[in-house]
Amino acid sequence: MERFLFLVDELSTWTGKVFAWCILILTLTTSYEVFSRYMFGAPTTWAFDASYMLYGALFLMAGPYALAQNGHVRGDFLYRAWSPRRQAFNDLVLYVLFFFPGMLAFVYAGYDFAQMSWIMKEHSAASPDGPPVYHFKSLIPIVGVLMVLQGIVEVIRCIVCLRTGEWPQRLHDVEELEKVLLHEAEQKKQAEMRKAENIGLARGDI
Amino acid sequence: MLGLTNPELGVAMLALFVVFIMFGFPIAFTLMALGVFFGYWAMGDFIWPLLVQRTYSVMTNDVLISIPLFVFMGYIIERANILDRLFRSLQLAAGPVPGSLAIATLATCAIFATATGIIGACVTLMGLLALPVMLRAGYDVKLSSGVICAGGCLGILIPPSVMLILYGATAGVSVVKLYAGALLPGIMLAGLYMIFTMIMALLNPSLAPKLSDEERNVPFTQVVWGLATSFLPLAALIFAALGSIVFGLATPSEAAAMGALGALLLAAAYRSLTFTKLKESVYLTARTTAMVCWLFVGSFLFSAVFAYLGGHEPIAQFVKYMDLSPLGFLILAQIIIFILGWPLEWTEIIIIFMPIFLPLLQTFNIDPLFFGLLVALNIQTSFLSPPVAMAPFYLKGVAPASVSINQIFLGVMPYLFLVILSMIMLYTFPQIGLFLPNYLYQ
Repeated sequence: MERFLFLVDELSTWTGKVFAWCILILTLTTSYEVFSRYMFGAPTTWAFDASYMLYGALFLMAGPYALAQNGHVRGDFLYRAWSPRRQAFNDLVLYVLFFFPGMLAFVYAGYDFAQMSWIMKEHSAASPDGPPVYHFKSLIPIVGVLMVLQGIVEVIRCIVCLRTGEWPQRLHDVEELEKVLLHEAEQKKQAEMRKAENIGLARGDI
Repeated sequence: MLGLTNPELGVAMLALFVVFIMFGFPIAFTLMALGVFFGYWAMGDFIWPLLVQRTYSVMTNDVLISIPLFVFMGYIIERANILDRLFRSLQLAAGPVPGSLAIATLATCAIFATATGIIGACVTLMGLLALPVMLRAGYDVKLSSGVICAGGCLGILIPPSVMLILYGATAGVSVVKLYAGALLPGIMLAGLYMIFTMIMALLNPSLAPKLSDEERNVPFTQVVWGLATSFLPLAALIFAALGSIVFGLATPSEAAAMGALGALLLAAAYRSLTFTKLKESVYLTARTTAMVCWLFVGSFLFSAVFAYLGGHEPIAQFVKYMDLSPLGFLILAQIIIFILGWPLEWTEIIIIFMPIFLPLLQTFNIDPLFFGLLVALNIQTSFLSPPVAMAPFYLKGVAPASVSINQIFLGVMPYLFLVILSMIMLYTFPQIGLFLPNYLYQ
């Protein structure tokens, strides 16, 4: 069971991280387009199509990765104060009620959408080159399936938490700077308190 | 269905959404599910193509492309070890000014937060860097924490900011005009913060004691060299990105890409561009972008279904029934946004609640551009006002244990009033915001 959890986590994380590099390509291609236009007086014909495809693929395919890291924004002003068990129960119900119907609709509708595009061998209408877009559209049902898989894992996490009363660990990953700094500050304060306690103990104050 | 008319269904959908937000489930999925349920009720199988069309329109949205690029630029600058140098050089430059350390802190925050657009990072970093320096110099705890919190939040107001892109994408207002419009109000607010701080330091020198002579009289060349190696490159990067957008040399996404490239070069020049840092920035960018843009996927579907149901009509009627003047409506809307800022974050306010206000703007003949500028100022308060204010709590997390959260909140209060004062000024003299866009684009 645990292996399945981490396998799916790994799959989502790996997919997200591979597509994450689109941002670097997007930076370089878009900058090249600007240089090309002003330096050589020759705007490219492909940069516009490339830019939205890179951006679209980036955010869409990072969706399951963000889910695996609990990175989707919540209105958590009440949630934060709840016990892990209460959070898990709440999440479990809403995964079943909201997440799966929404995502299954996403897969179902996305499959038709992509299939139609493949049948028509659809090309982009945004530029004269008109690169094919059916690969790009196929990402919708694919990411839908990944989301459903990751959702199943999240549900299992909720069940584990309901049993043990503690949220199971997630895959370790890079954190926002402020979280790292806050964590470090917290640890430092605790270490200082322990030190003060030890001094107190040694002196016999406590 | 259930004897409800379509517009009533729309209002019910909105009401359910507001209830479910409080359960803390990821908002993107709540929006998507409610959109699918109510859409299926009202239009049957037509909801499926609508769902993918709305998703695809987020995937091909040429305004939103600039989000990952600006976010990427921010993460690179955040990791470029530039903040220490920036603060130190501005500190030397501000030497003769009353309350010099607080002024340097405000200036550092304004520049750094504008370049990164990341609020949490700016407040925590400055909490570690500037707060101990100010406290050691005998500065008042409340004043020191107030300037860090207020300054650290300026980044989402002063362009190029991600928030204005989100507003532009939601409201269909040109991002270029929003940037041109927000520039003066942003500078005005930063200026108000600084003037207020200086006046406080002059009136009550014990709040911000003068530095010792040797700290104040630094050789001029050292000051210039410090500014030239920290302040200048970063300011140049911001002005290049912003200038090329405002003067129409590049689209916002092109300018964002050049900005990101510039940030990479800057980080390389500071010898702090390692592969690990690049990788971290790339992954964090992916996660942040996924969070924002999936929210858009949910919200685009939700608002399409809401509009199909005609949910705006009962709300518009209700507002009409209240018989408000345009000014009354404007004040009411800003108060609602102010209150929404207590429990919610700005992304949610802009992406989810703006679409509800926007159709009403027409009724009252209010320019969506002008409204956006007021909202941008107003959102500042959502980081600062208790009880759920991000900035004070971040600062509390890194501050010495002797600094209490109440002291921080008290310190933030005057700056909160300055935000409200700046909103009143913008309303009274709309030209502060509208002069630049009108001058440049008409």
